[in-house]
Amino acid sequence: MSESELREELTTQAVEPLLPIEKKLIGWSLGLGLALLVVLIALNHFVPVTL
Amino acid sequence: MSDIAAKAAGEVAVKDNLTEDWLSVIIGVLVFALALFSLGGTDLLGWAVTTSVYTDIGKALAPVAKAYAGLGGAGALLLTYAALLAVLGAGVAALGADVRKFALRFTVVFAIAYASWIVGSYAYIAAVTPAEQQKFGIGWSLKLTNEGGFIVALLSGLVIANFFPRFAEWLKEAIRPELYIKIAIVILGATIAVTAAGRLNLASSLLLRGVAAIVEAYLIYWSVVYFVARKWFGFSREWSVPLASGISICGVAAAIATGGAIRARPQVPILVSSLVVVFAVVEVLILPFLAQTFLWQEPLVAGAWMGLAVKTDGAAVAGGGITESLILAKAAAEGIKYQPGWILATTATVKVFIDIFIGIWAFILGYIWTNHIDKRADKARPSEIWQRFPKFILGFVLVFAVSLWLAVGTTPEIAKALPAAAGEANVFRVIFFILTFFSIGVLSDFRKLWQDGFGKLAAVYFVSLFGFVIWVGLLISWLFFSGFKPPLAS
Repeated sequence: MSESELREELTTQAVEPLLPIEKKLIGWSLGLGLALLVVLIALNHFVPVTL
Repeated sequence: MSDIAAKAAGEVAVKDNLTEDWLSVIIGVLVFALALFSLGGTDLLGWAVTTSVYTDIGKALAPVAKAYAGLGGAGALLLTYAALLAVLGAGVAALGADVRKFALRFTVVFAIAYASWIVGSYAYIAAVTPAEQQKFGIGWSLKLTNEGGFIVALLSGLVIANFFPRFAEWLKEAIRPELYIKIAIVILGATIAVTAAGRLNLASSLLLRGVAAIVEAYLIYWSVVYFVARKWFGFSREWSVPLASGISICGVAAAIATGGAIRARPQVPILVSSLVVVFAVVEVLILPFLAQTFLWQEPLVAGAWMGLAVKTDGAAVAGGGITESLILAKAAAEGIKYQPGWILATTATVKVFIDIFIGIWAFILGYIWTNHIDKRADKARPSEIWQRFPKFILGFVLVFAVSLWLAVGTTPEIAKALPAAAGEANVFRVIFFILTFFSIGVLSDFRKLWQDGFGKLAAVYFVSLFGFVIWVGLLISWLFFSGFKPPLAS
């Protein structure tokens, strides 16, 4: 498939609704990411950088 | 229209299991090993060319070691070119490429790239402090440091890509930014180890904070960008996965790895990759200067920010190099002299941490896709984690570990001689950075942004990058790296 055909496809492709598994992936990734970030910020606070 | 960006990103040269990735390990470790001979008194790399800030071009070039001063600047430059041509020529021959074609094109690439570096070292561009201006007898300068040569190389490449596309197409055999930057990162392991050895506590703290980068890039960035691509812009899953990976993880490598993992058509991540390079160039031209203006009092925040915000290894690590020189220059003008190396080390650490997990993330996505979304016979296998692991990281870790051991685990004599040896290897790191910058420029065809179809891809990229990724990256960098500074130079 040529590049121009691919670009054509981009403008015409049908919308694929988000599947439940995709919603789960997004939700779990974001939730886990934010939770871990909070843990890391707490660690950063309680175990400060040593020079 | 030709698309050398896409071709370059997609042509994963493989012959007898040798890939560009492994080749970068071999060449990087070779440079490091040759540099180590100087610990025993045999200087094998002292002939390599370095460039000083100048007003008289006759004094710009010189061999890195005084023992080779007899070569003169021009002799050192020719020898450096010949050595690189021989080693890289042998490398691409092993990959199955046409060596004659490569040799001719590499000669042109090296000539333009190194000429750009020399231009960037002109005192009116590079001199930083009033003392330097006085030394060169000039009343003003752009204060870009001699690493402003990276910007000149990038601009040279951009001019070729956008105004001389046929010439850019002709050069493509030697336009290998991934190879050049990976070699540079392997060599960089020695410089980082030498820098870290002086302050192991600070270095280990930096390392721990690299973990935050992984959390952010993979979990937070990816999910948000995927959602934006799917929900707001209506992209299919096949397009959204490489797009989200390219924007949020590390550009070209991640787009191709995750695209392969979900069994996307090979052209899809390649097309996305060509866009990644264009935006990375925009970032490299803007973010280091923003960092110099607003973050010069928080140098390590700036270094981490480059690693988190600039996509593609080459642009990020090289952007870290520019940021370091700009911030050190600004700090020096304010009377603060930081030890060099820490900002770049922070960028590289963040980037390497992010890269390490590409294979695992690709496997997770591959598993979900082949088992739940697009159920098929060729399901994702755990062995794919190793297949997609960026092998150059092994070279980086090896060089780092050996250098650190030499610095803190051997005799004081060796520890004392190590910085000079690492410095000689670093000359080649700088040259590979220059080649990377020029190559990225040549791959960045901005006319793509106006092509049908690309506009929508570019819109996702623009919204995600400038509306989310850059600022969240800055926030995270601030949270984890603010308040501690590089050691002062003695």
